[in-house]
Amino acid sequence: MTKTNENISEKIEKLKGGVDWFYSDDFRLDEASAKYKELTSLAKEIEGDLKELKNEIKVIEEDFSK
Amino acid sequence: MEPTQVYSVSDFQAVCNQIMETAFSGVVIEGEIASFKVNQGKFVFFDLKDEQSSVGCFMMKFALRFPLEDGMKVRVRVVPKLTNWGKFSLTVQAIMPVGEGSLKKSFELLKKKLTDEGLFALERKRPLPTPLTKIGIISSTQAAGYADFCKILNERWGGLEVQVAHCQVQGMVAADQMIRALKYFNERSEVQVIAVIRGGGSADDLAVFNDEALVRAIAASKIPVITGIGHEVDESLCDLAADVVASTPSNAAQMLTRDRNEVIASCRSEVKRINNLLNTKIDELLIQNRGEIGRVAQQITAKITNIEQEIQAQVKILAQLNPENVLARGYALVTGDLDIGNVVKITTNKAEIDAKIEKISERSAK
Repeated sequence: MTKTNENISEKIEKLKGGVDWFYSDDFRLDEASAKYKELTSLAKEIEGDLKELKNEIKVIEEDFSK
Repeated sequence: MEPTQVYSVSDFQAVCNQIMETAFSGVVIEGEIASFKVNQGKFVFFDLKDEQSSVGCFMMKFALRFPLEDGMKVRVRVVPKLTNWGKFSLTVQAIMPVGEGSLKKSFELLKKKLTDEGLFALERKRPLPTPLTKIGIISSTQAAGYADFCKILNERWGGLEVQVAHCQVQGMVAADQMIRALKYFNERSEVQVIAVIRGGGSADDLAVFNDEALVRAIAASKIPVITGIGHEVDESLCDLAADVVASTPSNAAQMLTRDRNEVIASCRSEVKRINNLLNTKIDELLIQNRGEIGRVAQQITAKITNIEQEIQAQVKILAQLNPENVLARGYALVTGDLDIGNVVKITTNKAEIDAKIEKISERSAK
């Protein structure tokens, strides 16, 4: 896994965990606003990362005709 | 006649073979099979013919990659040879069925054979690994199918390490090249999945994907294999042997990757969902608080009402005890010392009277 891809997967997992918190028994209204702001910012970050992510396509030098 | 050169029979035969090998290096001939037979389980003999001519062919059974029968139209890559007994023969290096009928017949024969061996059994299929980050591709980098695959792959996702084994994907040498590429990936174990990619084409173009050795190599790959060969209607034996089958190269790219736009939409949707949830929770709390305030107000009102009622009851009692009310009912109030000769004050509803006591008599209550 490339570094960038790994980071995005981690961020997506973090976002999911953050969303789950809102549906869990740990939910507290006084913390919710800060959490919501944090997750909104994280979602925008993921979107930016995904748009920039590029594949590395390399043609092998080996000659398979021999 | 003065001969320019005199050959022994063996030398002449050797020179003839040398000339033919040079002149017809890798020659490909198309014709129909007749008198097909396998001797001692390893030597294959048949005649290759058309309407006017026929020529004998020889090959080793292990080089036979497609089931053959009399009447099948085939394309052979051969080396012409004059045998020690002066017989002209073609030594077959590679053979492929051609034409719809022959391809279909060969396909069905090999499909039955490999199915009976269990090569296409569902329990052999492995899922695509996740998360997928390293992909091996076997395809021709000049092929349209490869370009389609890369376009969709790059559009959908990024951060993947893709190794491409450039091979021919049609013709008589294609199967061996793809087998070498499969071996290359399996020996290195650097990729998590191998995608065998080839765009659409005629039945003859796609015939290589029914090559027995290639089908077996795909089935034997320790790295899971996905095929994206031809169009949706095309089915090859390589597809049946693969772990996962995509209908086209583009579909293979779709199956291997998530769509980044879907992930972005999903992230946005999650944020919107928690925003709605948060608003709902705040509304619920407001309603709950309003309810509690209402309940307290009701309690206070009820308390005040109780006190008011109590006061009114007391007022009523007091009113009943008011001497004026007694006087109003016709009674009189006598104040002063009750002794004969004393003057006492008599108060009625309407007058105050001073009266002198003349007589005091005992009275028994009734």
